[in-house]
Amino acid sequence: MNSSSDLNRAYWDSWSDEYQQLHASQLNVDEPVWGAFSIPESELQVLGDVAGKDVLELGCGAAQWSIQLAQRGAQVVGLDNSARQLEHARRLMVEAGVDFPLVHAAAEATPFDDESFDVVFSDHGGLSWADPLVVVPEVARLLRPGGLLALNLTSPFAWLCWNEEADEIEPRLHVPYFGMHREDASEGNVQFNLPYGDWIRLFRRCGLTVEALVEPRPAEGATTTYDYPLEWARCWPLESLWKVRKWS
Amino acid sequence: MLAARVALEGAEVELTDHAKRNQAEWERAAPEYEESGRRGWAGEKPPSWGIWAVPESELQALPDVAGKDMIELGCGTAYWSAWLARMGARPVGIDITDAQLANARKFMAEYGPEFPLIQASAEDVPLPDESFDIAFSEYGASIWCDPYLWIPEASRLLRPGGELIFLCNGTLAMLTDDPPNEHRLVRDYFGMRRFEWPGEEGIDFHLGYGEMIRLLRANGFEVEDLIELQAPAEGPETRYEWVNRAWAHRWPSEEIWKARKR
Repeated sequence: MNSSSDLNRAYWDSWSDEYQQLHASQLNVDEPVWGAFSIPESELQVLGDVAGKDVLELGCGAAQWSIQLAQRGAQVVGLDNSARQLEHARRLMVEAGVDFPLVHAAAEATPFDDESFDVVFSDHGGLSWADPLVVVPEVARLLRPGGLLALNLTSPFAWLCWNEEADEIEPRLHVPYFGMHREDASEGNVQFNLPYGDWIRLFRRCGLTVEALVEPRPAEGATTTYDYPLEWARCWPLESLWKVRKWS
Repeated sequence: MLAARVALEGAEVELTDHAKRNQAEWERAAPEYEESGRRGWAGEKPPSWGIWAVPESELQALPDVAGKDMIELGCGTAYWSAWLARMGARPVGIDITDAQLANARKFMAEYGPEFPLIQASAEDVPLPDESFDIAFSEYGASIWCDPYLWIPEASRLLRPGGELIFLCNGTLAMLTDDPPNEHRLVRDYFGMRRFEWPGEEGIDFHLGYGEMIRLLRANGFEVEDLIELQAPAEGPETRYEWVNRAWAHRWPSEEIWKARKR
């Protein structure tokens, strides 16, 4: 059996071109934004001032986020498991006139030294598409004492309310909460999530203090190119944005 | 906020409007909880959590409580404080309701051990700062008091390094319909705080995950654990109509938060 990182590499290599085209209007923005409804970092204030900081984006895709942070003075490294996504990243970096390292690797096994980064972050990236039970300890290794992990992923609510047959999210529980961990999709990809309590225990086991769980709520009239109904996302949290810090 | 001035143990204390209503409701409902309280005091059931009676020996949610100064916030018949006292803790139980405390005192006289019981609201506790090592609540202040009032009080009462441990309803359970429509989400998550229920006098409170974490941290706590209770697959239903076992085996009907004062 192929590992989840092999499956997701193949999935993203084949889906990347269409994905970048389909979501271009949402992805190619002129400020850092979080998640499916593009809520600005300036509003959520999760990362703070990144100027001069060593920042790793786990699962950078075409690196739209990292480009924004590089333009704000961060020393960025973008990591992604898909070579095709990184080709899009190189094209966008040239267009933006910025340059920083792009690393082709799975988030489960990064090639960086211990305590290399001040900030590690993922917006529907390496912590959605790789096993957090493996990646969070890896992030804890990469962070300097006092360093920040910010990760945004689909919330447990969105997992539970997914109607597999109808292929849509509903105001109804379909999927059991207990045991939530890995979902092998019919498209051949693998996604990961954990119950809230499991996230908290995992962070703490890895020496990370939970500073905040931001639950971004889209504004009235907000739009998205992703397949999530606004009316659902106005009532229940579509995403969980965890902000955790390594003990210093 | 509406408030009434009532005399509690000789002290003039402001009761919030919801505390007044909950007090009246528990004076009425106390007899319904007398027998389960007696079983706890009599040692007929082991220390166990919530409506599915998950044993503490299995869950291990408590630290070693021996020698610890503990306050149970909203103790009701104080069966948990009795269990904690038998584990070697030095508990103090507080509750707002005469009838519940009368039952607690009756069981204490009958079964022991003895510890202080004080009539007070967990939203305004007549005890000094930094008096306790552990603040505890199981379906007490943790659901019947306003978290924006009782969590700051718990923080005030705890010594530095002290622990706050409380069980409340599961967040999903607050948002879904009663059986037979228990899979439908019928209440919004955003802004959740105060709940009133059709045909019920009591008012209870619940915060979403992110807001609870924010409130705990704002009151000087580190969040240490969130234990989400799973009902065992097999066994009888509970006395409560709002949940059934099949649901609570798949989704958490109860959650235990653990936080430590910095």
